[in-house]
This record gives sequence, structure tokens and C-alpha cells, in this order.
Amino acid sequence: MKLFITGASGFLGKYVVAEAVRQGYTVKAVVRPATDASKLAWADHPAVELVRLDLRQGRGIAEALSDVDCVIHMAAVKGGDFYDRFAGTVLTTENLLGAMTTAAVKKLVATSTFSVYDYFNPPANQVIDETFPIESEPEYRDAYAQTKLIQEDLMRDWGKANGAVVTLIRPGMIYGREALWNACHGADFGSKWLLIGPNALIPVTYVENCAEAIVLSVGSAAAAGEVINVVDDNLPTRRQFTQALVKRTENPPQVIPMPWGMMRGVSSLAWFVNQQLLKGKARLPGLLIPASLDARLKPFRYTNAKAKETLNWSPRYTLEAALDRSVSNQNLLSDILAKAPATPTLEPVAQG
Amino acid sequence: MDKSLKAAVIGTGVISKQHLSFLDSSDHSELVGVCDLSAAAAKYAAETFHAGQAFTDYQAMLAETKPDVVHILTPPNTHQKLVTDCLNAQAHVICEKPITPAYEDFKTLWQLAQEKHLHLIENHNYRFNEAILKIEEMVKNGTLGEVQEVEVRVALGYREAGGRFADRNLPNPVHKLPAGVVHDVITHMAYLLLRFMPEVDRVAAAWSNHGGGDLFKYDDLDAILLNGQQHARLRFSCYTKPECFTLFVRGSQGYAETDLFQPYLRTVIPRAGGEQLSPLVNHFVNGWDLMSSSVKNFRNKVMQRTAYEGLHRLLDQTYAAILHNQPMPVSFEDMDETNRLIETLLAQENRV
Repeated sequence: MKLFITGASGFLGKYVVAEAVRQGYTVKAVVRPATDASKLAWADHPAVELVRLDLRQGRGIAEALSDVDCVIHMAAVKGGDFYDRFAGTVLTTENLLGAMTTAAVKKLVATSTFSVYDYFNPPANQVIDETFPIESEPEYRDAYAQTKLIQEDLMRDWGKANGAVVTLIRPGMIYGREALWNACHGADFGSKWLLIGPNALIPVTYVENCAEAIVLSVGSAAAAGEVINVVDDNLPTRRQFTQALVKRTENPPQVIPMPWGMMRGVSSLAWFVNQQLLKGKARLPGLLIPASLDARLKPFRYTNAKAKETLNWSPRYTLEAALDRSVSNQNLLSDILAKAPATPTLEPVAQG
Repeated sequence: MDKSLKAAVIGTGVISKQHLSFLDSSDHSELVGVCDLSAAAAKYAAETFHAGQAFTDYQAMLAETKPDVVHILTPPNTHQKLVTDCLNAQAHVICEKPITPAYEDFKTLWQLAQEKHLHLIENHNYRFNEAILKIEEMVKNGTLGEVQEVEVRVALGYREAGGRFADRNLPNPVHKLPAGVVHDVITHMAYLLLRFMPEVDRVAAAWSNHGGGDLFKYDDLDAILLNGQQHARLRFSCYTKPECFTLFVRGSQGYAETDLFQPYLRTVIPRAGGEQLSPLVNHFVNGWDLMSSSVKNFRNKVMQRTAYEGLHRLLDQTYAAILHNQPMPVSFEDMDETNRLIETLLAQENRV
């Protein structure tokens, strides 16, 4: 069975390609034309074909999809202004879906995000599962959430219009070697780290655990057409996560705890002033926009029950093991590939 | 004629936000359609800025909405055809800069606009920024004396990794223009220079690609222009910091300077107190103005007022002029001289 994996050289994508090879798939790994593939351990693997495409334009995508059974779509942009993100997330998806229609590929596994949920209106401490409400007022959220919401809509609409199977994987905050300190456990102020709401759980998933779940969803009949949240087991609190990072960071920032209620109060006050005195025209940092702050740091609880049930998945690495791997000198991609079969083993599965 | 004009927009890239926000808020316009090759981009723009309809085919938009004015915001190499088709559909056209890559093509479009009794406007937005208008006023009322020297300097980090123009994966269309990335700003530089030195009789232009490589045609311009004893300099650099867009106008009585990216106005002119006290008064007055500007710029940044303030002023004047059959704020001569000057700067015989 041949997979077409977009965003293959990205933070998550490179692990997904390695994991797909480990699980016995043949892979067409899509990287941008100027990508330096020399550090991708799978670039020369016999089960991997490197495809150089920029999905922001449609040329060549349908041709590259001609012999593909399923697409794992992870290409997205997390940096730049709204228009960069729109091009890198929405236009890429639009072009990919158009090409999939042309090439008659009707199975899509797409990586979405926890960011699409509505964190502002539901009360704190609820359990976030796949039925949790989706953000209905994206204008108050950051460009990442806005573009990912549009992207999800596009994919759902495409699936309906084309009778295709679209499986949406929504990971929590993915951490790994290239991304350890993250926006879901505080805010970076240079040499200081503001640890906001230290006792709240942090919805993390280690990048290799997440990659395994994504690839498992390709072959899972139970996962087909479903929305699946992916977080690890035994989620740490922000304090525990931060302490584990501090232990492994050479020159860690000074960690300054701040109660959630205090931060939320400051944010609400800033919002009130902006709305009442400045007619809502002031551009505030995300921490001072309650909807954005809530999306990052409001205390909730999380479950991975559906992922475990539908994917027969269990996170391979605990927090401690994952962080140890992340700070080690080991070539993690090579380590995954070492467990791959000599030749791809999986046959195409029936579509639809 | 009605009190408002039916407006349509082609192209929903970065600059469209400025045009669309004007059209969304102006009493002089009714936004009837937005068009982009991407259905998702057109839909997003139409929803965000309350357009009547979203289109992916501009001919269909012209036929269905019959706009009075069309804003063309697509890459410059598309302008010739789009402007022609919009004029043939009996719509006035407001076109992003450069209106055409070559001067001759501009003249062809102007001829068509004249035949159709329609207006054709190239975006000269920075001319309408507050600081520029104030310097113009100082020249008009003689405060600076006779203009002797003009310098327009733009510093932009176009070569920085991750920037829109440094992306090798999908090279920006601007790289194909005669002046490469400098063409992205040279229209602004040329029309600002011409406001203060309307005639040019000698030109020497050094076009360089200091960074090398085949993506950038040029990344640096240093041009000297003379008209009799008047001197001017156009300077574009990718390598100096901070990013700026400065204008210096030096006259026989004094000088004025501003930076459109961080607006301030510094004027050194004869003051009350005579020759002895003028330096002291100039320093005191300019010191106070600089401090005020820092507060004002911070406020503008928070309130999301950008260097595009002149665009809304230009568009407002343009719509009012069309409605009341008055002269356009950007005349044929303004556009003709600007595009001719760009051609002169690029001419082989003027290169050093």
C-alpha cells in the first residue's frame, strides 16, 4: 500500500514517514523543492520515494498521486503572518484536494489540531473529547486556529462531495527534540518562563507516539471517517512538565509560577478596556485575549480513549522516556527505520 | 449617479486587506464581489469583509456584478490582461503598483481608458501619508525654500530566511520583473521623488545583486538623479537595519525628513530667534516632536494603524472624485512620469 505523505520534512512529518516505513508501507514523501533532504534518514530508504512539490501551487500534484492509495496530509505553516499561514495551510489543502479528485484518491488522513476546539465558552475542567464543541468565533483566535478551522471545513466538504473517507487526527501539543518548551505550558519572556496555571494538566503527545497513532489510523477500519484526539497517557501537570524539562535543559529559564485565575483576570481586564474604551481596535498579545489565552492555558481534562480503541494504539514512550530520547544524541529516525521490515508488507486496503 | 459605487476586487493576497477594509467601511462604496483563483481565499475575503459574492472567475464577476470600480491586486505580470478586461467591462480600475512591468504597456492601457472614458489609477498610496503631505505643504508654502536635494531610502530585509521573497520553493512573481524585488518598491520611491523634483535630466543607476545567486536579480539600488543643480538619490538596500522608508527633502532654507515606517517629522528651518537661536529652537521643537511621535507610533501600533494610512486617504479621494466628476488624486502625468522614470533607471545607458 502506497502512502502520499505531505509535510514530510516537518517536525511531525519526518517521524510519520519513518513510522509508516516501520509499519510496512511504501511512501511517497512530499518535501518542498528546496528542502535539504540530507538529514532525513529515510530519504534513501528503498520504501521511500522523495517527491519535491510545493503544494501552494497545483502543478504536478495530481500526477504524483497517480499510484497512491491514501494521503496523510500534514503540510501546514505555523509561522509568518495570516496570509503566509493561509497559503501554507489552506491553499495547500485546497490544491491537494483538487488533485486527489483528479487522481481519484479517496482516502485521506489529515492532521488537524486541538486548536479547533472552543475553549472560551465551555466551563473549565470539562473533559475534552471528540464531541467537544468546535470554535464558533474564530475571529478572536490566532491565525493558526483560524486557518486550521478553514482547513478542516475544506476537507470535510471535499469528503462529502467526493464520497471520500476523511479521517481527522487532532493531536494535542506535540513535543519532541525540536519543540520542548511550548505555548501550552507557559509564556517565554527571554530568560524567564511564566508558568501559568501550574496545576492544570497539559494535553501533550510525544512526537513519536503521535506519529504512530497517525499511521495506525490508515489501516484501521474503525478509524475511517472519524475524528480522533491524540494525547499521551498519564498527562503531566504544567509544573511537572516544566520541572522535567528544567532537569534536562542546560541553561533553563527562571520559572515564575502564576496562578491561572490571576492571568485570566489580567486578560479579562485588558479585553474589557479594549472593548469599552478602544472600540476593540487595539491589537493585544494572545495572553491578553481571553479566547486565545483559554485555548492555550485554561484548565481542562483530556482523554485518549477513542484513539486507543479505534487505533489499537498505546503511547509507546512515557514522558520521562520521551524527554530522555529527545535530549539524547541518538538518531531517532534511524532508530525507527531499524525496526522496519526489509520490504514493504502492507497491501492496499479497500477504499470507501 | 448614486452616492456609492459598486466595487469589486480581484486578488486576495496580503495587500487586499488594506483595500478590502476600506471598501468594507467606506460610505462611497459597496463591495459587490471578490475574486481569487482560490475558492477558499475568495470565500474567506468575502465573508470577512462582507462582500456580496465570492468568485474564482473574474469574467463571471464582471458579468454578474457589473462593478463601477475594480481593484486589481494580483501580481504585476497579470495586470495588462486584467486591466484591459475590466476597462472593456466599463469599470474604472484601481491597480496595485507597478501597473505594468513596462512603460509601453502602461501607455496602451491608458489609451484604452481614455477611449472608454474611464479612470485608471495606479496605487501611489505613500504620497497620501500624513508626513508626506506635511512636507509637500512646507515646500508649497516656501518653508524649506527652493528644493535642492531629495533622498528616498528604503531598507527591507527581503533576503532574510523565511521572508516572502527569499522563498526558493515557490519564487515570488516579483523576481521576474525587470527590477526584480526592487520593483516591489520602486514605484513608491519614484513617485515620492517626483513630488519634490518633478524633472530629471541625468540619471546614473547602480543595480547590484550583492547576495548573488540566481533567485534575486538585484538586491540593491543606488541611483543619482539630477535636474540642473537639483540632486536626488534613490537608495534601496536589503542589508541595512532597521527597516525604513525615509524621505529627506533639503531646500535652500532648511530641510525636512520622515520615516514612513516609524513616522515622525523633523524639520530644520529658520526659527523665531534668528540665526543664533534657530539651532536651539530646532533641537527643542524636534526633540519634543520626536517624543510625541514615539508615543503616537506606539498607539498606532496597538490600534493597528499602519504605514498604509495613505491608501485609505487615496481611495477615499478617488471614490469621491469619481462620484463628483472631479480630477483624480493620481493623475495621468503622475503615473506617466513615474513609470517613465523607472524605465530610465533600468535603461542600459544609465547604468554604472
